[in-house]
Amino acid sequence: MPRVSLVVIAYEMARELPRTLLSLSPPYQETDADDYEIIVIDNGSRIPPRQQDFIHLKANIRLLSCSTQSPSPVAAINEGLKHARGSLIGVWIDGARMASPGLLRACTEAAALHPRPVIATLNYQLGPDLQRISTAHGYDQTTEDELLSSIAWPQHGYRLFEIATAEIRGGPLGAMLESNAIFLPRALWDELGGYDEAFQEPGGGVANPDTFVRAVALPGTQLIRVLGEGTFHQIHGGLSTSTQERAIEMLKEGSRAYLRLRGKPLVPVRARGWTFDSRTRAVER
Amino acid sequence: MNDPSKLDPPFLKEWMANYVCGVLGLDRAAFSTADRFDTYGLDSVEAVIMAGVMEEEFQVIVDPHRFFETPSIDEFTAAFTAPAA
Repeated sequence: MPRVSLVVIAYEMARELPRTLLSLSPPYQETDADDYEIIVIDNGSRIPPRQQDFIHLKANIRLLSCSTQSPSPVAAINEGLKHARGSLIGVWIDGARMASPGLLRACTEAAALHPRPVIATLNYQLGPDLQRISTAHGYDQTTEDELLSSIAWPQHGYRLFEIATAEIRGGPLGAMLESNAIFLPRALWDELGGYDEAFQEPGGGVANPDTFVRAVALPGTQLIRVLGEGTFHQIHGGLSTSTQERAIEMLKEGSRAYLRLRGKPLVPVRARGWTFDSRTRAVER
Repeated sequence: MNDPSKLDPPFLKEWMANYVCGVLGLDRAAFSTADRFDTYGLDSVEAVIMAGVMEEEFQVIVDPHRFFETPSIDEFTAAFTAPAA
């Protein structure tokens, strides 16, 4: 039985998903394949990913298709959570996000620090600026491929930080709207009820921030930010990263939907929480 | 509706001050609506979220760019509620 499950949602990511899964594979993460499983839920791609395309990764990967059809990934995530067998589960709402090489081990170690941990990894976007901005200056998939080649990825996984931009503008301890690789123990996912399927907008709207905010608000939970690791978004025409105007409109609409649903404004998590630095194994409480 | 000129500027100013103080955990009594948004740490993400909340509350369209063009509550409310030229 795997100790950790990773739930990765994919939709039309023929270019991006192979890199993401490579970044989650045992050699890259320097972990034992038996320790964890990767559950990929395809959310309706015209050409779904195939198991045989990932055999070379020597990872415990299960490829499944979401049983319902929706432009929102939320139902797919909840299906993934049902299939997950690990006692610690990490969710990738966006399968276009590659991981740094020690992310899995760091999250596992961070989870052991508290009985009710909410493990938040930091979001980065490949390229010289946030992709919604850099696309206006010519950043595209070709540029991104060249950038990855320039750092000899995947041989040098941590060099991803050299070619990426942090999403949190206030630094790693700043206000945090979401984490795109969020880890909770199985029991906390159950207590949370998974992702809220009321978020039916394309891309899920603000379902991911909502999940993060609700998890941190659960009684007795402890937010732990993992430093020195991250997830790195590959450009793929996603709703919040393709253009500045689209990103603003999506967040504004998400804010309205959240207010209607929750009866209060969406407020990023400002609590610093604990930090776990994967480079030094240092914990700051 | 989408006619911001029908909004009462003092009411909108007070609403925004309370919103910002609530979100950022600031003391309303010590907060000045003349201060720039960035001086008290309202970042661009929170500004866009506030725009969405204002649209829902007041049934007006709020372009978040206006928070940067008129970067204080005083400046924003004056410009936003001014009758269209």
